[in-house]
This record gives sequence, C-alpha cells and structure tokens, in this order.
Amino acid sequence: MKKVININFQGRVIPIEESAYEILKEYIESLRQFFANEDGKDEIINDIESRVGELFSEVLKKGSACITDTDVESIINSIGRPADFEAEDGGTGKTDNAGANQSSEKFQTAPGARGRLYRDENDKLLGGVCAGLANYFRIDPSIMRILFAVITFGGFGTGFLIYILLWIILPSRSLETQLRKRLFRNPDDKVIAGVASGIAAYFNMSVWIPRFIFALPLVLGIMSSIFQNVFFHFNPFPSVIFGSFGGSLFIIYIVLWAVIPQAHSATEKLEMRGEKVDLNTIKNTIQEDLGSLKTRTEKWGAEVKETFQNKSRTMAGEVVPTVRKNGSRLGHAIGIIFKGFFLLIAGSIAFALLMAMIVLILIMVGVMAGGVSAFPLKGFIIAGAYQNFLAWSTLLLFLGVPVIAFVVWIIRRLIRSKSHNPYIGYTFGSLWTLGWIAAILLVASISRDYKTKAGIEEKMSIVQPSNGKIFIKAAPRSNVRYFDGDWYGIHWNRNESPFYALSEDSVVLRTVQLRIQKSEDSLFHISEIKFSRGANPESAKDAATKIDFAISQFDSIVNLPRGFDISKNEKFRNQQVLLIIDVPVGKKIEIDRTIHEYSGFNLNLGDGYNDWDWNDDWHNNYSWNSNVEYIMTNDGLKVTHQQEVKDEDNNQSSDDQSEPEEPKISDSTHYHYQQKNDSEKSAVKKTEVSINSKSSIKKTVRITDITSSFFERLAL
Amino acid sequence: MDIQNTQSQMRKGVLEFCILSIIRQGEVYPSDIVDKMKGANLNILEGTLYPLLTRLKNAGYLTYRWVESNSGPPRKYFLMTDQGLQFYGELERTWNELADAVQKLTSPDGKENLPEENPNNNQ
Repeated sequence: MKKVININFQGRVIPIEESAYEILKEYIESLRQFFANEDGKDEIINDIESRVGELFSEVLKKGSACITDTDVESIINSIGRPADFEAEDGGTGKTDNAGANQSSEKFQTAPGARGRLYRDENDKLLGGVCAGLANYFRIDPSIMRILFAVITFGGFGTGFLIYILLWIILPSRSLETQLRKRLFRNPDDKVIAGVASGIAAYFNMSVWIPRFIFALPLVLGIMSSIFQNVFFHFNPFPSVIFGSFGGSLFIIYIVLWAVIPQAHSATEKLEMRGEKVDLNTIKNTIQEDLGSLKTRTEKWGAEVKETFQNKSRTMAGEVVPTVRKNGSRLGHAIGIIFKGFFLLIAGSIAFALLMAMIVLILIMVGVMAGGVSAFPLKGFIIAGAYQNFLAWSTLLLFLGVPVIAFVVWIIRRLIRSKSHNPYIGYTFGSLWTLGWIAAILLVASISRDYKTKAGIEEKMSIVQPSNGKIFIKAAPRSNVRYFDGDWYGIHWNRNESPFYALSEDSVVLRTVQLRIQKSEDSLFHISEIKFSRGANPESAKDAATKIDFAISQFDSIVNLPRGFDISKNEKFRNQQVLLIIDVPVGKKIEIDRTIHEYSGFNLNLGDGYNDWDWNDDWHNNYSWNSNVEYIMTNDGLKVTHQQEVKDEDNNQSSDDQSEPEEPKISDSTHYHYQQKNDSEKSAVKKTEVSINSKSSIKKTVRITDITSSFFERLAL
Repeated sequence: MDIQNTQSQMRKGVLEFCILSIIRQGEVYPSDIVDKMKGANLNILEGTLYPLLTRLKNAGYLTYRWVESNSGPPRKYFLMTDQGLQFYGELERTWNELADAVQKLTSPDGKENLPEENPNNNQ
C-alpha cells in the first residue's frame, strides 16, 4: 500500500507514488549538482526533466494508474545517472557522488574547468603545476615540463622557485585534458627510447630530422676521428665546440627521455599524432580566455580563497570531514617537496655512481681481457685462506654487486618494469655492505702483513780488480725472459713499473738501488742489504733472506742481475735491494747505463727514498752519472776527466762543492722520518747485531714507518 | 590504463561527430538521436546527450525549435546552423583521415595496401 501524489512535472500532471517521487527528486538533485559548473545547467536539467515527463506520460498512456518506483528506476537507468556519465567520460571520476564532498567534486569533474589556472591532479609528476599550466594554454604538459627544466637549469634554479611558488598558490583540481595532441615517446619506432620519433610525430616532420640532430655529435665525432687519423692530425672539427655541443644534446635526450611519457595505449598513440598545435592555437586560446577574464577571475579568486581557508583550517588542527581531502593536500605537498629534493640529490649521487660504475666495468673488462684472474697481482699479495676469502668477497660483493645492480637497473628500465620490489634494493644494499666490510677487513689484513720492515746486510766476496777500477752493469739472467714494460699488454712507463715481468707464479722486481761510498780500507767492498716487510720481524726477516740477488764478477766487471724473483709462495712484501759499493781512495769506478733501469718503486708513493734508509750516517754517499769514470779521493768521488762532465743535473754533478751539500739534501728528505725513529732504530740495531747468525754480517732493523702507519690508518 | 577507459575515450572522440551527422540530416528530437545511434549499435545515454547538445548549441553550432506535440507540452527539436555545418565539415575531414589511417594500419593486408595508397594520396 503506497500513497500516490499528483505532481505538476514539466507541464504535465503526473500521478506518482510518494516513494517514487522521492527517488525522482533525489535524482534531479544529483543531476543539478553534477552539472552545477556547466554553463547551461538549467537548460540541461530542464531538457532532461521534460524528457522524463514525456516518458512518464508514455507509461501512463499504456494504462498504468500511476508512476511506480520501478518505472522511475527504469527511466533513470535509460537516461543515466551522474556516475554513468562519468564512466562514459572516461571512467576516471568518482562513482559515489553523495556526501558533503560534492561541492568540490563537481568542480573536479566539470568538463568546462579549463580557462582557469589550476594544478592538475590527474596528470602530475610533482605538484601538477606544469600540467595545469599546459592545460591552461592548451599545450602539452611535457612541453611545459621541458620549459621548466630549461628555466631551472639555465636560470640557476629560477624555474624551481617559480614552480614552488605556483605550487603553493594554485589550487588543485582534476582537470580534463582538452588536448587532442600530446608529446609522447614513440615505442613503435625507436632507436633508444623513441624520443626522436615522438618529436617527429608531434611536429609533423620526418623521423630522420630529430634523429639526425641527436646523432650529429656522434657523426661529427666519428668524422673528426677519421680526419685525425687519416689526414695527418688535421682536424677540421674543433673538438671543444662539438664536445660540449654533443654533451648537451646527450643530456637533452636523457632529460626528454625522463620527462616525456611513452605512448602506451591506442588513445595515446592517436594523441601523439593528433590535432595540429601551433602558436595560432595558443593565441586563440588566450584571446578566448581574455574575453571572459573578469568572471573567471572572480570565480577563481573565490576558489583560491576557499583553498587557503581549507589549508589554514587544517593547520589549526581542525579536522572537518568536508575539507579532509583538501586539507591533507598541504602535508602531501610538503612531503612531495621533500621527495623532490631527495630525488634531486639522490639523482645526482646516482649519476656519479653510475659513471664510476661504468669506469669500474671498463676496468674489470680490461683486466679480465688480460686473460688471467681478475687481479693479476692477487697471488703475490694475498696470503692464506682468510685473505683469499676476503679478496673474493671484496671482488664479488664490493665491486660486483654495484655492477650487477646497475645492469639490473638498466634492464628494468628497458623493459619498463614498474613493480616496486623493495627486496631487490635491500638485497643489493646488504650485499654491498658485506662487500664494504670484506674490503675493509682485507685492507686491514693486508696492511698487517706490511706492518714491520726488516733488512739484512750481506757482504759479497769480490776479487780486487787488477786495474784498480770496477765497472758495474746490470745484465739479464739467461733463464729469465723479460718482457720489458709489458704488463699483460698494458703499457707501463718503464720508469714507474716496479716489475720487469709478471708470470703465473713469479714476479720479477727491480726495486734495486745503488750507493757508492768511500772504503775504509784499501779494498773494494760490495755489500747488499735486502729489505722486506712482514707481519712481524721474523716473517719480514725471513722474506728478506729469500731475496736472491746474486752478483757475478769478471775481473773488473761486476754483473748485477736486472731484478730478483718473487714467487707466489714468497709473496710481494715490498722487497727491495740496496747495493753499497765501497770504493777505496785512489781507485776508479764506472757505472753502466743499464743500472738506470732499476726502479726506486715504493709503496709509499713518496719521493722514493724513505724506505731506502739504512744508516743514519749517509754522509759518504755520492751521486753519480752513468758511463762516467770516477775516482775516489779523500775529498770524495771525482770525475777522472773533467772535460767529460756533462752538467745535466745539478744534483747529480759530483764536484767537491756538491759533496758537503749532499748530506743536507739527504737530511731534508729524511728529516721527518729520522726524527721519529732515530732512537728506536739505533737501539734495535745494537741488539740485533749481537744475535748475528748465518752470513758474515747480518742485521735486522725494525722500522715502523709511514707505510705501515698509513695502512693502519686505512684499516681503522 | 584499463580497457574500458580506452574504449570510452575512443567512443567519446567520435560521439560528437556522429550526433552532428544525425542532426545534419534534418531537425531531430534528442530521443530520436539516441534511437538512431542505438540502431547503429552506438549507445549513448540521454543524460550525456543533453549536456552535449546544450554545449553545441551554446557554441553556435546548433539551434532548436519548439514543435507542438499532440500530447503534452511542445518538444525541443534541434537543427544545425551554418557555423555548425562548417564545423561538421572539418570534423568529417578529420574523421576521414583518421578512418583511412586506421583502416590502413589495422587491415590484415595493410602492408600491401600502403604502397598502392601512397601514389593516390600524392595525386
């Protein structure tokens, strides 16, 4: 049993059930709210109402006594509810229009919202400012974004400031795109990311034009290198101009890649090639807008005011259901600003890391191309399972993980995987942390192996030369093949390489130095001091003893080996050999040029002298030139034929005057070191001398010097 | 990006054009437009049609006339203005281009068609 009422609806008298009337009233009200922002909203409502009335009278004509709930429902269904209109409009709108949110909702879904400046909620990267501006000018948001990027980078961040300002000022709305054409990356026709073909589609030109422009630096680079190689170093392309030009084009491409979305759907692909967009369109748009500027400004002002009120209300802490949505926006915005800054910083760090990664990969590839293990010297430095484990962990985790992560990132980027799997990040992060730990432990462990230094002095028995002169030269040993300066195909500067040759199981060092001093008696003496480092004095001494640096003599000619072998079992512990030649007064000495091939290589990377020290009193040490005959006098070493002196190097000229200066020079280079270790060293020396064991004279000196302290600092 | 959204976007683009083409054939009552479109398998809600007509009318492309009905109040019949005809002509041209392009791209023997079509376009 239902009450039936009569209503006058659009000029017709309609008998209708009261509940049906309520439904109808609610429906009309929902339409009124939905079209509230429409220019001809009354007309639209009126048209729909009269149509409804017409349908009512049709129902009545069929013989019904009155309009029932079902009748109203079916009519409403045929005309459609606001939710259905939205679904038809693109399905992005909210389906539930009931509630107090409606006053703002109706704006968001209003198709006629264009013409006022908003931030676009639908299409935003940060705050939707660019999308809103683009919507206003009816151009593509991507273009606006690029413009902002240009202003930001070119104008020292002004673009960013403007952006933030607009972000704060402009109210946010869900805007409906008015565009028929947008800038997309074209996934169907791409070389790298489809940027060039997307641009070509947007500006209606052939694909090869943008592609050629982007490829220009590459082409020019190739051409200029060809010119350089073929035409005798004549390069018609100034590399400075094209270098920066090419670099900026490359950056532009990357920026465009990041900013322009890819056209995924059919709609987007149509939009990519849609309506022509030119200055005229933009001009028309602006002219249109200026026409109704006044009313719009008023409306817009009211909305901005509303937004601000909502914001301030939220800041006061009032949570009002009607403004909840708007209120959370401010917090959201602040969050996004931080996010933006974070992304900016993280981005630059990531870029730097990326570059480092690429360099690392190149290095690794280069080393692996060497054909042996990833680290050729590994076998000579790493000792024991522990260090081996650490070394491999370091290689795999510390160096390998970032490389793999980079590759994974590239692949995910290429397949455009959007799934956010945090575990990938966690896994890589923790593995890399382990790599760091391994690397630190490795450095600490290795540096421990270099902690102490030992030296062993050995007097060589030599026959006194018959003519009172010795000639010293370095000769290759017959059983060793030397690959001079060839280190796995990588060219080493001969003067800097510490090695003569490196093979699977041994390395030939040439860390040898020569000292000439005045003999205390009338005989020539040659003694060599072998240095090595080690974890403790015993192991250092042991390693030093194992150095095999045998000299041979043929009357006046003394042959020195060109280097000494270190096997894998002995390990590289910065072994060095110092050869001291005592020349008696009145006797002559000449040193061959080959001696210069010895290298003062030093782990200290200092001046190369720190580690060579042996005695505190190097006062009778003389400098010399090769292939010059010297005679030892009471005043020191003198050139036998004065006319032969080539004053090439002031330090090396051996005049009487230079002699007293020598200790000073020597002192200045050793100053720091000697200050530190004088007392300790001499004390240790005395005790060690008494322990003399095997050879004629042996001394072990413990020195804690810069190298080990450097490593220790590293380890800490 | 779901399929429904894409479909409705595609439909939305041609809706205006279809409605105008119906009105161009002579003055018409909105519910007749809905029926005609239904007949052509293109569904549109009256609730969507009315705002669209009002917008087109306000833009000057359409006008309307009150026609007495034998039952009840007079009905609003829509007809096209000269400006609307011009607008329709442009839409038609765009549509033809689009249909042509879609046809070419989607037809299974599109690869064979392309070389044949190109000389025609040049003429």
